[in-house]
Amino acid sequence: MRRLATGGVDSKPIQILLVEDNSADVRLLQELLKEISLVGFVLTVVSRISEARTKLAEEFFDVVLTDLSLPDSRGLSSFQKLHEAAPTVPIIVLSGSDDELLAASAVREGAQDYLFKTGLNSHTLARSIRHAIERHVAEQKLVRSEAFYHSLVEHLPQNIFRKDLGERFTFANQRFCQLLGRPLDLIIGKTDFDFYPPALAAKFQQDDRQVIRTGQIFETIEENVAPDGEKIYVHVVKTPIHDAKGKVLGTQCIFWDTTAQKRFEQQLQRKNVELAASEAALRKSNEDLRSAQLQLIQAEKMESIGTLAAGVAHEVKNPLAIMQMGVNYLSKKMPEGDENITMVLQEMKEAITRADSITRGLLDFAASKQLAVKPEDFNQLITDTLKMVRHELNEKRIELVKDLAASLPKVAVDKTQIQQVFVNLFINAAHAMPSGGTLTVRTFARQITKSTHSEGSRSSAHLWVGETALVAEVDDTGGGIPLEHLAKIFDPFFTTKPTGVGTGLGLPVSRKIVELHGGTIDIKNQPDGQGVRVTVLLKEHRDA
Amino acid sequence: MAKKRILLVDDEKSLTTLLKLNLEETGNYEVRVENWPEDALAAAREFKPDLVLLDIIMPRLPGGNVAAQIDGDPQLKGTPIIFLTAAVRRSQVEDNDGIICEHPCLAKPASIDEVIAMIEKHARK
Repeated sequence: MRRLATGGVDSKPIQILLVEDNSADVRLLQELLKEISLVGFVLTVVSRISEARTKLAEEFFDVVLTDLSLPDSRGLSSFQKLHEAAPTVPIIVLSGSDDELLAASAVREGAQDYLFKTGLNSHTLARSIRHAIERHVAEQKLVRSEAFYHSLVEHLPQNIFRKDLGERFTFANQRFCQLLGRPLDLIIGKTDFDFYPPALAAKFQQDDRQVIRTGQIFETIEENVAPDGEKIYVHVVKTPIHDAKGKVLGTQCIFWDTTAQKRFEQQLQRKNVELAASEAALRKSNEDLRSAQLQLIQAEKMESIGTLAAGVAHEVKNPLAIMQMGVNYLSKKMPEGDENITMVLQEMKEAITRADSITRGLLDFAASKQLAVKPEDFNQLITDTLKMVRHELNEKRIELVKDLAASLPKVAVDKTQIQQVFVNLFINAAHAMPSGGTLTVRTFARQITKSTHSEGSRSSAHLWVGETALVAEVDDTGGGIPLEHLAKIFDPFFTTKPTGVGTGLGLPVSRKIVELHGGTIDIKNQPDGQGVRVTVLLKEHRDA
Repeated sequence: MAKKRILLVDDEKSLTTLLKLNLEETGNYEVRVENWPEDALAAAREFKPDLVLLDIIMPRLPGGNVAAQIDGDPQLKGTPIIFLTAAVRRSQVEDNDGIICEHPCLAKPASIDEVIAMIEKHARK
């Protein structure tokens, strides 16, 4: 093996492996290479294919120059062995005039060029070497690029195919081949009609023709029915294929199944709707909760008012006692016969009595009562109570109508307490009819059909469904209760009566008493606008 | 007939003044007022009342304690005591036949006639 370096200093020398057993030819080439001054060469010479293969495995070469007739190999196989040993190194075949055909077939096999040794000059040699290297570099680039795009097309999770202007398939990637269940060679040259139902195939081709006609990208989401009858969604992108001059050669289609995504979206949408619904339900139960809470707060407020009222009432009693003593003293010391003084003292006594009755009412309201419940005759109780207010009714010329049911069951009440309730109701009715009218009092028994227990009520002893209630209705023919007052009539201290006439405690105390009995009290305007009806329900007495 | 000696114990000065006036006006009673409950026992020992009218809710020393002091005093033992108080309601007094905490009781406000009726009923003759 001989090695020779020649020429240029500017650039990297070109590494040449010369496979030649004829020493005259070796010398010729060495001479010719010396004449090339533009680039430097490093020439390595071997005389056998086996040596060449060893060299190619050990060192880098830019190009191989080889004779085909060598001691250990002849003809085309010499080239083949070298090409196999170094497929990425360009090879130039050196040929004598007797074997040009052989050299030409080596070029078809992948050799870059062939040169006649006879008449070879340095210029031709240099050009051939340069072209061989450049062409080889370009080829390698192309191969790499091809491999790159091939890899992309075959490994993308999309189906890809191309068609010519006659709607025939010209390319299909592996995924699409698998989808059609056919190898590539059974797809190339076929049309959609070979694989799809006619209507679908016609639709596909129509889309292709639109792409060809407009030259624009066509993108859509198709709704198809899979062979198993299930609806599937396919995202499709079709683009025109152009040649170098911009002429349309056919179409390329990329498509992929988005059914899973679509299902997910639909599921998400459904979940959203469900979420909105449960949010609405939540909001509703929140509102329910708030209204229940308001009722509880109201009940709590009543309790607090009671406690406060009891405190105030107690503090008021001492000054009242002092006034009482003062008025008593003055009554004795004042000279008799002075009408004004008598009148003033009388007014003061009445004022003290009134203030005392208000404080007593407050304390009644605040106290949690111990009831002495006994079986009582309901009609008798009502009649006795009416006698207590007879004076008030007569004074206002109020007609009394009693409509009391015969043979009622006994009512379970604390008589004194319930009488206080009816006194309040009768007096209220009388106040509602200052210039006369009719007071109607009705009693009867009724079976309870729905629970009377109201939310927020502390009473547990309410009327149960199926129980018999004793009902008293108290009707007046007064002006009725204005709507804006109806909600407040059971609030402590709410009154529309002039100062001194009403304490604002009659109805709250009455309701408290009735509820302690497990009964209910209800106040409504009569439908025809003719006054008010108060309905009191109380429990029937039962032997324990 | 000798005047009955009434000891009036109540922190409400105006009330004691007026009640004393009213009682003495009748000519039947000699009234001593004590507005300081902690001085009530000493006053009772000195005055030796036929009856004590005693408020219950007073600062520093409640009427119940004053009553216990009087009941427990060897000299005063058996002195009739009437509670005159805003702490009870008339209806409660009635429900308990006029006796609360082992003593007769009057709910404030009471008229002078009611007070005199109670004194006459319970005072030492």
